[in-house]
Amino acid sequence: MKKLLQSLLVLLCIAQVAVAQNRTITGTVTSSQDGTPLPGATVKIRGAKTGTLTSADGKYSVSVPNASTTLEFSYIGFTLQTKAAGSSNIINVALVPDANELTEVVVTGYGNIQRKSFTGASSTVTSAQIANKPVQSFGQGLVGQATGVSIVQPNGLLNNPPVIRVRGLSSLSLSSFPLVVVDGIPVSTSNSSANSAANNPLGDINPEDIESIDILKDAASTAIYGSRGAAGVLIINTKKGKRGETRLTYDGWAGVSNAVRLPEVMNAGEYIAYKNQAIRNLKSVNPTAQVATDAEGNSFFPNLRGDGTAVDTDWNDVVYRQAFTQNHNVSLSSANDKTSYFISGGLSDQQGFLKGNNFKRYTGRANVAHQATSYLKLTMNMAYTNSFNQSPNSGSTDGGAFASSGLGRLAFALSPNLRPFNDDGSYNLNPTGGTIGNGSNLISSTWSNPAVLIERDRNTSETTRLIANLGAELKLAEGLVLKSSFSWDRGNTENYRFWNPLSGDGFSTTGSAYNNNNRRNNRNFINTLNYNKVFGGVHNISLIAGNEAQSTKVDDWGAQRTTLSDPFYTQFQGQFINNTAAGNGIDATALESYLAIANYNYDNKYFISGNFRRDGNSGFAAAKRWGNFGGGSLGWEVTKEGFFENSSLSSVISNLRLRASYGVVGNAAVGAYNYYTTYDPTLYGENGTGFVFNRAGNVDLGWETSKQTDVGINIGFLSNRFSLEVDYFNKNIDGLILAVPQAPSKGIPGGTIRSNVGSMYNRGFEFSLNAGIFRDTEFKWTSTLNFTSIKNMVTALDPQVEQILSSTSGLEQTSITKAGYSAAQIYGVRTNGINPANGQRIFVDRDGREIQYLHQSAGNGYTYVDNGAPAPSPAAQQQILGNTLPTWYGGFNNNMSYKNFDLSLNFTFSGGNYIYNGSRAGLLDQRFWNNLQEVVTNAWSPTNTSGTLPFPVYTDNVSNGSAFLISENIEKGDFLRLQSATLGYRLPKTIFGTSGISGLRVYGQVNNAFVITGYSGVDPEISSNGNSNLASGIERNSIPQGRVFTFGISLSL
Amino acid sequence: MKIFHKISYRFPAVRVAAVAIMLTALASSCKKDFLVEAPELELPQEEAYTTPQRVDKVITGLYSSAKNGSLFGGRYQIYNDIRAEEYILRDPNNVTGADVFQATNDATNSYISSFWSVGYSTINRANLAIDGLTKNVAGLAPTVIDPALGEAKFIRALVYFQLVQIFAKPYVLDAGASRGLPLRLIPETTLANNALASSKVSEVYAQILKDLDEAEAQLPVTYTSALAKTTRAHKNTVIALKTRVYLTMANYAKVREEGNKIVPQASPFSTTVGAGHALASNVATLFVPPYTVSESIFSFPMAATNAPGTQNQLAYYYNSFSGANLIYPLNKNTPGIYADPLWPATDARKVAFTALFTGSGLTAQPVLKKYNTPSPWTDFVPMIRYAEVLLNVAEAEAAAGGNAVRARALLDAVRKRSDATYDFGTLSGTALTETILKERRIELLGEGFRYNDLARLNRALPAIGAAGQNITVADPRYTFPIPVNEKNTNPLVGD
Repeated sequence: MKKLLQSLLVLLCIAQVAVAQNRTITGTVTSSQDGTPLPGATVKIRGAKTGTLTSADGKYSVSVPNASTTLEFSYIGFTLQTKAAGSSNIINVALVPDANELTEVVVTGYGNIQRKSFTGASSTVTSAQIANKPVQSFGQGLVGQATGVSIVQPNGLLNNPPVIRVRGLSSLSLSSFPLVVVDGIPVSTSNSSANSAANNPLGDINPEDIESIDILKDAASTAIYGSRGAAGVLIINTKKGKRGETRLTYDGWAGVSNAVRLPEVMNAGEYIAYKNQAIRNLKSVNPTAQVATDAEGNSFFPNLRGDGTAVDTDWNDVVYRQAFTQNHNVSLSSANDKTSYFISGGLSDQQGFLKGNNFKRYTGRANVAHQATSYLKLTMNMAYTNSFNQSPNSGSTDGGAFASSGLGRLAFALSPNLRPFNDDGSYNLNPTGGTIGNGSNLISSTWSNPAVLIERDRNTSETTRLIANLGAELKLAEGLVLKSSFSWDRGNTENYRFWNPLSGDGFSTTGSAYNNNNRRNNRNFINTLNYNKVFGGVHNISLIAGNEAQSTKVDDWGAQRTTLSDPFYTQFQGQFINNTAAGNGIDATALESYLAIANYNYDNKYFISGNFRRDGNSGFAAAKRWGNFGGGSLGWEVTKEGFFENSSLSSVISNLRLRASYGVVGNAAVGAYNYYTTYDPTLYGENGTGFVFNRAGNVDLGWETSKQTDVGINIGFLSNRFSLEVDYFNKNIDGLILAVPQAPSKGIPGGTIRSNVGSMYNRGFEFSLNAGIFRDTEFKWTSTLNFTSIKNMVTALDPQVEQILSSTSGLEQTSITKAGYSAAQIYGVRTNGINPANGQRIFVDRDGREIQYLHQSAGNGYTYVDNGAPAPSPAAQQQILGNTLPTWYGGFNNNMSYKNFDLSLNFTFSGGNYIYNGSRAGLLDQRFWNNLQEVVTNAWSPTNTSGTLPFPVYTDNVSNGSAFLISENIEKGDFLRLQSATLGYRLPKTIFGTSGISGLRVYGQVNNAFVITGYSGVDPEISSNGNSNLASGIERNSIPQGRVFTFGISLSL
Repeated sequence: MKIFHKISYRFPAVRVAAVAIMLTALASSCKKDFLVEAPELELPQEEAYTTPQRVDKVITGLYSSAKNGSLFGGRYQIYNDIRAEEYILRDPNNVTGADVFQATNDATNSYISSFWSVGYSTINRANLAIDGLTKNVAGLAPTVIDPALGEAKFIRALVYFQLVQIFAKPYVLDAGASRGLPLRLIPETTLANNALASSKVSEVYAQILKDLDEAEAQLPVTYTSALAKTTRAHKNTVIALKTRVYLTMANYAKVREEGNKIVPQASPFSTTVGAGHALASNVATLFVPPYTVSESIFSFPMAATNAPGTQNQLAYYYNSFSGANLIYPLNKNTPGIYADPLWPATDARKVAFTALFTGSGLTAQPVLKKYNTPSPWTDFVPMIRYAEVLLNVAEAEAAAGGNAVRARALLDAVRKRSDATYDFGTLSGTALTETILKERRIELLGEGFRYNDLARLNRALPAIGAAGQNITVADPRYTFPIPVNEKNTNPLVGD
């Protein structure tokens, strides 16, 4: 020890002597984006081990040996820039922000590691990439930014949780959502809403507070999270005070959003003519059909307003709007040698393009770190959030697709010759069913009146949440630190649901209210002993050992009230006749862990690291409770080798590193009480209480583990002006926990028992190419292309389970998961267009025989195409029709600047998958529903035999795919989207004079500017089934995405 | 070398570290039960059969399971009633049975699948109860165990009986030789035993009758409260159900034998045996609170706190008051019973249980208002009425070997309760039987009998929803297909 220190001291002295002979260069490092100085940026002499940091005002001073010395300027989130020392003693540098540039530090579990020492696979996203976007959660801002990470926003409903997948699907029955760790605290991520107002817990984290997000992808990196790491880990670090003067910033933006790509449906005139013809067709097929018509055989008629004009309602105008949205954020930060702080406050007030959809969030954060003594450092991160979301039933949250009051569907299915309001301003309603008044139509529409739903229903979900973390770091000896942190994530969500008694879901109960309180208490205590040491100048060792205890309790209570005494009341607290308990529950889980990490590298040239973790999970029976996880990785920095440095390649290749890792991780998202077989309380009229068998536990249930291999290479060319990172990954998931479908005749509650069966893999390549296309000129352009190719394959299921069928919203069977295929294939009946001879839909049975269908005709309506003989219904002749998981996706991000202007263009793309456009089935349904405008010209008729849509027979819901899924409605999902385009202008500093303003940037931005796709539904990135693993790629009655234009300013003082 | 001075804090630091590590240990590992989290709101199975009170709760749970809206709380009745000629469809929605009405329902219909699975989960719960009561680890008295066993067997028989009628060919087609149902009699709580071949229809009926005979022996004679007499099984409940089961098997002698236990040979047709039953003098009092007149032998109760659930409520389907959806108005044309001359407008049942509705595109459309309570839809669901038992016996007496005079007297008893002056005229042979059958359509309209009454006579369904076609027993559409999720998990179940 003593010797070592002495030799270090000697080294230091040598360095001191060397420096003395040099020339000093000074200058300022600023951000090219807003011209603000960058404190803490690294200025390094190329080839030297050490460098200097810029001061608070971005100034630096460095000694260089000669004019040919090259200086490297780097800063987290910015592209590295090099400058020759030259002859000038002043070098000012404006760094260009770039997200995907190799940042210096990778935040891993329980510690940080120099990126150059990191041998796992991760992607880093910085604040610049996620801030100032018209989103509710950072997740939405991550789209297309990180290699291997797929993020899909299910639709344009505000605060709807995004579907995030790191290297594909990680489970079938458990969550495939990655673990999210904020400042070291694993936080809860599941939707906490109990009504149609979505509530994404990740929206509680103000995107503007985020400094960086490290996405750990391979098992060697995630294994330290052991049983929680199988789906990848998102490590979020919030902003900390930086050395230098106190810095005050203000960021604000405002904008408008509109729904895009709405389906084009018939107007009133077209609707009346077309539907009456369909009724005549029905009568021609079956004269005894029960349908109300007048003497001429018409059922639909123009409806006239009081002023004599005919009603022609565009229901999109009733349901959607141009929405205004604004966001404000203030932060104050500073740091000195002892104390650093970052304090921020944010307000977000966003309207959705769906009427009645409003999101409001107030956030406050204080991050403080204090070096109390030379050996004790205290840290505190505290964030308080109040978020409020409100939305009428959009039919777009998970499980809501078929809601008869779903506004997404009402907007296109309602008859255009009906109207929301009568002449006197009252609601237009039918006496039965609380449905839209059917005017002069002889057939009543059974849809709800959306105007009533928007004005009278009330669905809100409001979260107040405290995420706090207190930590201490105690230096026990040089290099030996004890870290202890206790964190508390306390969320309280109040879900309010009021359904009006006039129309919609509250009609049959004469008004109904359901309130639920969901309280989540998540406590986490982590203690680690960290040891970092450099031996002999070349042996870098870092060791961590520790333990962790986490306990989570979710507590729900609520009540439902029905039969409103008077329509005057619009709140849960109003007078209702009936009250019942609803939404009550208690769920407690605990996790206990022991962990160890060892990293070693020799001279930053050879790297080896390993970790081990033992987790105990209360969700499993005692014998299965504990699981061992771990991983290891190797790295080789080829460019450090003498043979390489001396070769001619070294002038071209500035960085070459090979990496490999392997690890075993688990999925702890098993929930509570899996091994208990229990009885639930029940009621029997007024005969008192009872117990019913309601849970079949499995004492043999054990860990689902994932064995993951990663091989990667990083190459930098020409002083890293171009860099390429390529990874191959293979995630083998064994012991997949499956909710194994049980024969319904066994009478197992819920129909499934969880068991460890099945296996699956995800294999693929990731490419990330960064190019500083122009970086040392006045016009700067950096470009990042990331691309992931991935193949998911289910290799085995339980021998008793040939396949798992899944349905959309519990109603329409849409998906199948089967060994030999990727998960969640579309499952339905193959069709072969229509028969040009008679306009009948042609179905193809499993033997390939064609069956045509004429609604309401003799027998069951089905006949063989070849001989006209009666045929059985092909409904059960489903086949596997297409994969729903994209096989390739990525982003193409460009940042350009010229003088004070900056421009960024972020594209995302994805493909190789199919989407079931279930909305189209509804849009062609031949009941009283409105249809796509194309039926007018494209429906087959005896005079239009070239039409490609079936001969319209009123009430036909089979030919279009409403009764069972048909291949006709399956489309390719490939797309390219301009996710965001931003044009900014930084006002020249000179105009601020002595005002104290150090930077002001104004910008305009468009999100979802355009999408190029062959998909005809509302959006190729759609998920009517939310985060579902087994029923992805389904669009059913969802509202579309929005296009948002924003204007913003960033001010710093 | 000042820096070495820092070493001096070593000892206190180590002490602090030790304390910190102990704290963690306290929070987790040393606390032995840190990883033990037991459900606080659910009763572990081992606790379920330990006291008389809990036994009673488990039995109450069986009734509660059976009255689920997907089963006897509404859908069973609706699926049976809408398949023939009595109703027309207003709202073509598969959720509310449009495909069943049109005879296009297939094995993938998730509501019929849930009808099947709720039926079987009730059977499994009954199997668990029978197993737990038989083992009787707590050593409870026979006075606790036996009646409870009787009730569990009654529930199991009731569910099997209704499932086998809908999902298998009629018993009378071939004396039960066709594919029946998987006959699950042992409790299932694990992953084992998915595959189980269907027993024959006759084997299912044999089990139903075995359960009912045993239940008759074990059940109490009656209960003290009127509510319990109507909503929990007693001896007469089982006897009444047996008349229906034997009628379905066309075993008329046994219908008479069972019927004679609770139906006198001659008028007045009422009984004081057991719980005691008589026709209510005014039919309008049957389906209104408290729903417990002695004619209502067995009904599933509803309450504001225990309602049938969305889109299962009978009134929601058939009625037209505010809040109801009027999905199935009555067919006002022949062959619907509403238009039948045998049902004059003066009949109290027409007066009390039907109305003409105009609005929502309908004009003077008859609707059924037997179920007339709006939200929270607390109408009891009638399962067995004394009137039905009388008609069961009447039909059996009208059959070969029976007493036609008693048959006619029973028919008159039911008719004249609602239309005191009505005279059927002379009836004999087939005409008598057909009139009794028509009387069932009037008396039991909307109570879930129509399909079963056709099937037990091998008659075609006059399926007005399928464009008025007659769907014969041989037609695959006649019998509900076994749901696809059963076929996928139980390869032995059969077609």
